[in-house]
Amino acid sequence: MTKSMGIHLEDVHFGYPARSVLQGVDVTVRPGELTALIGLNGCGKSTLLRLAAGLLQPNQGRVLLGGDDLAGLSRRATAARVALLHQSAPAVPGMTVRHLVRQGRYAARGPLGMLREGDDPVVRRALRDVGVEQWADRDVDALSGGERQRVRLAMALAQDTRVLLLDEPTTYLDLHHQLDVMQTVVRLREERELTVVMVLHDLAHAARFAERIVALRDGRVVADGTPKEVVTPGLLADVLNVAGRVGRDPEGGWPVCYPDHPLPALEYENQFH
Amino acid sequence: MRWRFVALSALAVGCAGLELVAGRGMSPGAVWDVLGGGGDATERHIFLQLRLPRMLVALGAGACLAMAGLILQSALRNPLAGPEVTGVTPGAVLGAVTATALGLAGWESPLAVVLAACAGGCAGALLLWLLVGRGGGDPAQTAVHGVLVSAVLGGLTAMVLLVEPGELGSVVQWLVGTTEGRVWEHWHLLWPWALVWGVASWLLTGPLTLLRCGDDIAMSAGLSVRRARTLALMCAVALTAGAVAAVGALGFVGLLVPHLAMAVFGADMRVGLPGAALLGAIVVCGADAAAQLSSRLLAATLDSGRLTLPVGALTACLGAALLLVVVRRTPSRTF
Repeated sequence: MTKSMGIHLEDVHFGYPARSVLQGVDVTVRPGELTALIGLNGCGKSTLLRLAAGLLQPNQGRVLLGGDDLAGLSRRATAARVALLHQSAPAVPGMTVRHLVRQGRYAARGPLGMLREGDDPVVRRALRDVGVEQWADRDVDALSGGERQRVRLAMALAQDTRVLLLDEPTTYLDLHHQLDVMQTVVRLREERELTVVMVLHDLAHAARFAERIVALRDGRVVADGTPKEVVTPGLLADVLNVAGRVGRDPEGGWPVCYPDHPLPALEYENQFH
Repeated sequence: MRWRFVALSALAVGCAGLELVAGRGMSPGAVWDVLGGGGDATERHIFLQLRLPRMLVALGAGACLAMAGLILQSALRNPLAGPEVTGVTPGAVLGAVTATALGLAGWESPLAVVLAACAGGCAGALLLWLLVGRGGGDPAQTAVHGVLVSAVLGGLTAMVLLVEPGELGSVVQWLVGTTEGRVWEHWHLLWPWALVWGVASWLLTGPLTLLRCGDDIAMSAGLSVRRARTLALMCAVALTAGAVAAVGALGFVGLLVPHLAMAVFGADMRVGLPGAALLGAIVVCGADAAAQLSSRLLAATLDSGRLTLPVGALTACLGAALLLVVVRRTPSRTF
């Protein structure tokens, strides 16, 4: 097993002709770290994740993964290093859980390797990791939202990468499944020494589970540090545009937010994610 | 999974057998005689030079169209995509009709028709590609443009037919799709083409399965989505052009057989693609046999010896009914 990989974004600019999304972002994610990305809708969180996964190329600046510039890697070579769980996924009629998870092996096996039937231990491990092996032969589309999210996490894990990126993995899930997904990620990260970056809308999850929080606003990093350093009433106002108070969890000691009311709308509101 | 293939293979053999005895001009008993090495010269000629190649062409064309349809639906993530709506089928028809009208090809020169249809099919696909190329391969856009291209090509075909009405009679059967009068020459043109592109498509089943999961997921998993889609579309175009050149614009097979294949074999394209080929062969061969049987019945009741029902008419009627079922059962247009 190779060593953990860090992610290094150097002065990354990204935008579309009509609108710039990221304006000079420098972020270094250390190997084996669990980082949460927070910010309002459209602040560039998802874009940053897609850049780190090599799905987008920066207009300016570099994205390094374990020291290698992503611009010089093929799609397959990138996918062998970093897996991204997308925010939403379209329906896949007729596909079973096992079969969908198996698709995560594409980067490792290649187009012709996918033709072999093959008993893949990585797929079996991924199914076991998220606890879906008992319904591996059911249709993905027949599952509930929470179950489907676990299956998609298994597909990302089947890529067997050192870096795992998760784009709002808990959105649309009930509280039970939110905690289930978060704890699975935390456990796997410890077991495998994965480097994890997740976009989270729920500051409670970020403050509790992340070792580090990076806050974005209008395509710039405005805060970067441990939850205790970063989660303050000032952050709530500057990054999330709400007035609120911050306390401490009586048992765990992590920051807990009490948002009170929204602040006046920002003059510059982005339309995209 | 294996028994499904066995059962369907048995069905295919059954359909092929039925096709061999269904035609006019020779009784099932005479077919048996020929198979046993007997029969007179005429019967041997009918069986060996007409019925056998016709059956093979029906099987091959059905397989090609079904594979092309499944590839298109997977690559474009559109359950209502088919060779008919990618400009290939109408392009091939236009090519053949134009060549016939110009006197370059005719009913008696299958090779020229095949070449003209291939050229037309490629031109139709090229037109679509030129229109969509800048759009970045967005599935919905591709589908919409495909319908537009097909409509334009259909209009051009109608114009050619109006200018050269004399050719109408011989071309109409081909517009609808028929296996009437297909001989060894057609089969020898069809099978190497179908084999090459069929194998190429099968090698692409890994990427095709991923394309069914959506572009974002496919890209994250390591697939170069645009390249994979381009290669897949190339295979679909080639398979369609081959089939259309052999039997004409056989409607609805490429659109509907993939749905049958998905229902029977699931979304694993490694199994689904050969399965679709088998199902397509069964459907076209079976429909052709049924068309011949009903032509016989109709000819007997109407007392007209020359009446023949083209297989395309049957697949179109059958297909329209099935399409209604698919549309009602598919709540969203993309999956």
